[in-house]
Amino acid sequence: MITLTRPNRINLAESVTPGVCAAEAVGLTKTYRRGAETVYALTEVSFSIAEGEMIVIVGPSGAGKTTLLHLLGCMDTPTSGQLYLGGQPANSLSDSALTRLRRERVGFVFQHFGLLPTLSVLENVMLPTIFSRRQTRHRAEELLEQVGMAHRLSHRPNELSGGEMQRVAIARALINSPTLLLADEPTGNLDTASGEAIIALFKSLNETGITIAVVTHNLTLAAAAHRRLTLKDGRLISDSSHHIASPQEGISP
Amino acid sequence: MNWISLTISNAKRRLIRTLVTVGGVAVAVASLCSLLAFERGYERGMHGELDRLGAHILVVPKGCPYDAASIALHGASWPCYLKSAYLQRVQSAQGVETAAPLLMNALYDSSGGQVTYLGAEPGLLRVKRSWHIQGAFPSAICDCLLGSSVAAKRGLKVGATFDLPGFTGERGKVCGVLGETQGADDTFIYMPLAAAQKLFKRPGQLTHILVRLSDPNAVESVVSDLRGCDAGMDMNVVPMAHLFRTIQGLLNSTRLLLGCIAAVALLIAGAGVSNTILMSVTERTREIGVMRAVGASRGDIFLLTWLETVLICALGGLGGLLLAAVASSAVEAWMRERLPFAPTGTLVHFDASNLAGCLAAALILGTIAGLLPAWRAAHLSPIEAMRTGSVGI
Repeated sequence: MITLTRPNRINLAESVTPGVCAAEAVGLTKTYRRGAETVYALTEVSFSIAEGEMIVIVGPSGAGKTTLLHLLGCMDTPTSGQLYLGGQPANSLSDSALTRLRRERVGFVFQHFGLLPTLSVLENVMLPTIFSRRQTRHRAEELLEQVGMAHRLSHRPNELSGGEMQRVAIARALINSPTLLLADEPTGNLDTASGEAIIALFKSLNETGITIAVVTHNLTLAAAAHRRLTLKDGRLISDSSHHIASPQEGISP
Repeated sequence: MNWISLTISNAKRRLIRTLVTVGGVAVAVASLCSLLAFERGYERGMHGELDRLGAHILVVPKGCPYDAASIALHGASWPCYLKSAYLQRVQSAQGVETAAPLLMNALYDSSGGQVTYLGAEPGLLRVKRSWHIQGAFPSAICDCLLGSSVAAKRGLKVGATFDLPGFTGERGKVCGVLGETQGADDTFIYMPLAAAQKLFKRPGQLTHILVRLSDPNAVESVVSDLRGCDAGMDMNVVPMAHLFRTIQGLLNSTRLLLGCIAAVALLIAGAGVSNTILMSVTERTREIGVMRAVGASRGDIFLLTWLETVLICALGGLGGLLLAAVASSAVEAWMRERLPFAPTGTLVHFDASNLAGCLAAALILGTIAGLLPAWRAAHLSPIEAMRTGSVGI
């Protein structure tokens, strides 16, 4: 069982603003042009995520889950609607302000890990700190210890298993002490045992106060969340709190 | 980890491709560096050669003055001669401090090497003021003053007698050995003018006259005086400053051609670097997306890509300087064969400003070549970058 230590719990708690939603979407719409055709990736999606909440976003392929995650992470801007992060409107921000917001408040975890193959485990975790100009090797080592990767600091990603790579990616996502952790199919490329270890890690992180939004098809991970948002054809069709999915009910791929 | 180590790790990813690109820059920088070093070396060499000659004006027989100047500077047999009587006229010209008559002839010795004899009078020492002689200037008929390399090569010291190379049965006595001059004088054998005229069967004849003026600024008036006199019809009066400028002018077309080659090489190298980095950006599109996701700004991505270009060009620049230094002797031999006139001594001369200039050129090249790939990388949409390109681990 991997648990986060006390000092990290305090740091994360300090960065949370009481009484403010971690993220709030109001009528979020995202369209793309495909030739002469306009494709609606998201249509009028509204919801909010409370500080310290852990939600999963589910739905069939093409439902707009990843698009929504990218909007929440300021990687993209909505065509219309409003997005607030920590009470701050994100729509009207410039590219550099969005980058700063992403750097300071958001951590990303990808299905394909997104580790740079030429860098060691430690260097991959320290990568975001180069861009934030706040390099702390000590914090990177501490995070790697917390995710159980302290013994692999100088290894290259191609020397690691999938589960190990995802743990490194999670440590990297945490290096700038984000208040919102976004994960896109974090267990999608992992075997069951590794997937369960990652889910345990997410739960442990959430217990420290960090807000987590995960796009997933994994039932166990969905069950671990406080709440489930279901998307279909770009629309939010259900928003259930404390939902526990049963294997029979399943989640559409 | 820092920006530089991140840049190096990116450059090392496709090591062979990076090295080939670095090699292209190195060749371009080496050609530029060699060209500049040749310019500098040639100019220095010419100045040194003319300084060693010690004369402001060279008086030679009618014909091509540049051929004559080349023979006078490097030593060879002359195709035509001046009458000794012209010396009086030259000596008497207003502003002439010293006029030193010389008779030069070159022979092949038994070993197949060339030996150059110069008949001269003691007045030559007033022209060759930088000379240091161990012993004395030739005065007796068989006296010889040996250039330093002649003395060293033949193992002769002051007081020794020896067979005059290239002659049969003629002997000379070493009355003095010339200190090293770093010029053609080191390879000459000086003897009294009368002895040389007798030995080479050229009584009353000279090959050239070295003229030193009391006021070097009065060259034009002395030259016009000498060209206007009766003897002026049979002799070429060549101001050394004009000779220097004319020889430099003769090289202009060569310099222009080499300059164009260096410029084209630099342009091609720049395009090569730009192309390499563009390919690298395309290959790393997804990684760029990941970096944007973890907090890299457009400026960060621009800087990272641009630093990689500058790194390649800086390495290429350093490699180019090394290549130019290693190839300098080959370049020198190649140039010497093709030049109408080449001074003695080093033709390719590197100095700090030359090297710094070439390195700066490489860095400027990298800066410019990196702009397009860096701009493209920086303006990749993070979402598009995440969706496309090769997958990181």
